[in-house]
Amino acid sequence: MAEDLVLDTAIRDWVLIPLSVVMVLIGVLRYFVSKLMRSSSQLPDPKIVKEGQVIIRARNLRAAANFIPAKSFRARKVYYSNEENGLLFVPKGQAQNAQAQMFSDPNMAMDMMKKNLSMIIPQTLTFAWVNFFFSGFVAAKIPFPLTQRFRSMLQNGIDLSTVDVSYVSSRSWYFLNLFGLRGLFSLILGEENATDDTQRMMQMSGFGMDPSKSLSAEKDGLDIVQHEWALPKFEQRAEAALRKLVS
Amino acid sequence: MVSKTEEEQVNRLESQVENGGGGAWEYLCLVRKLKLRRSDKVLKFGLSILNDPKKRSALGPEEWTLYEEVAVAAMDCQCPDVAKEFTKVLQKKFPGSKRVGRLEAMLLEAKGSWAEAEKAYMSLLEDNPLDQIVHKRRAAMAKAQGNIPLAIESLNKYLEIFMADQDAWRELAEIYVSLQMYKQAAFCYEELILSQPTIPLFHLSYADVLYTLGGLENLQTAKKYYASTIDLTGGKNTRALFGICLCTAAIGQLTKGRNKEDKENSQLQSLSAVALEKDYKQRNQSKHSLLTATLKSLKLS
Repeated sequence: MAEDLVLDTAIRDWVLIPLSVVMVLIGVLRYFVSKLMRSSSQLPDPKIVKEGQVIIRARNLRAAANFIPAKSFRARKVYYSNEENGLLFVPKGQAQNAQAQMFSDPNMAMDMMKKNLSMIIPQTLTFAWVNFFFSGFVAAKIPFPLTQRFRSMLQNGIDLSTVDVSYVSSRSWYFLNLFGLRGLFSLILGEENATDDTQRMMQMSGFGMDPSKSLSAEKDGLDIVQHEWALPKFEQRAEAALRKLVS
Repeated sequence: MVSKTEEEQVNRLESQVENGGGGAWEYLCLVRKLKLRRSDKVLKFGLSILNDPKKRSALGPEEWTLYEEVAVAAMDCQCPDVAKEFTKVLQKKFPGSKRVGRLEAMLLEAKGSWAEAEKAYMSLLEDNPLDQIVHKRRAAMAKAQGNIPLAIESLNKYLEIFMADQDAWRELAEIYVSLQMYKQAAFCYEELILSQPTIPLFHLSYADVLYTLGGLENLQTAKKYYASTIDLTGGKNTRALFGICLCTAAIGQLTKGRNKEDKENSQLQSLSAVALEKDYKQRNQSKHSLLTATLKSLKLS
């Protein structure tokens, strides 16, 4: 185990460097392909925009309620949360769930599929390519020792427990490139490049969010707000400020 | 809202560019970011960059943003020729772009051909009914033509959807004040206070509106808001100090004989009177006698 493996320089020239270059090129290509496939920015639904704005405004009201007179607060509260036509009131049954909405709008599903395809296809292809040509040998050595735990990360594809962990297998080099090149991409392609996989995953998980739910949550929040006008306190504070100024 | 440090930064950069110290591009970026209206300077500095091919190409793709910024500034400065030239450049570079379409409509508006501009804006809205800038431009155009009811209507329609847009609320409030529709204006100012409760300007305007509305309850509320303005500005706002004095005098007249005014409040007004006197003594000696006369007529000093 202790003896060093000697890596052929041909491995460096024909595996390590080409692999990295190919990964970068594929990333760039994917960026442009996804740019092409992105359907021309579809118009947002006025209803959804309005709901977002209502939520902002209601949140403002909740946060700063104490800064307006009680009468104005009450009027606004009724305006937002009355049971007939309040802005935050969502009639039962009308709240369509996100799934149904997705099916009703094929464009949305289509868009998601396109995004997914542009992500998955090149990844499977490159993985197959790496697996086929470069599987099962050591491609590089990192200049510092590591513990056994890193074995599964760095020596994917080699099932030898005797090789020192600081050797990196070719398949692991592929994975390291796949996840580690984000910084380089943002350098090449500009800040908001399309290759940010983790962000996209987050978007997808947040996709099924239901706007009506946040509306009713905001309504509940508004219902329990106790209005306590802050302004009378300000008279004393103003007095203190003036006293300081005058003296 | 532009914070004080940002404004200082802008002013410093401006004088630096004025004196040939460079940094014109940084200045233009900052002005664009803060959405300031310094069209004359933007036009001057922007032209100096755009007329110099070497500087222009150094910007890379940002060049087109600058073209847009300078074109809008040129419209504001009554230089339609410059604006037209730049709009044409952009039109050539981005044919069919909606952003350029907006610019063209604004050019029509700047020239004063209202009907054509309206038509252009309407066609833009057909493509994207949620274009905030176009909605705002239409309201502004109605106001420019003196068609205030239409401006109010379009602002109201805009706020029905984009109800978190402070600037629109503020514009609407100012229009209502100009039409003496104080109740509506008060609502708008309440909305502004809600969205940004720490800006003294909104408190002050709200208090002004309430004071103008009159009535005991409104006057008392107005006084409280003047007090909050004083607190938020540290007593530096002369208008708020006068407001306290006037409110107290008006309340005193309304509650004459009943005298349920507690002593604490009268202290506030005497303090503000003293602060006013001190302020006038320091900054404007010549008007000091006027102030004393005014305060005497309010029976405050």
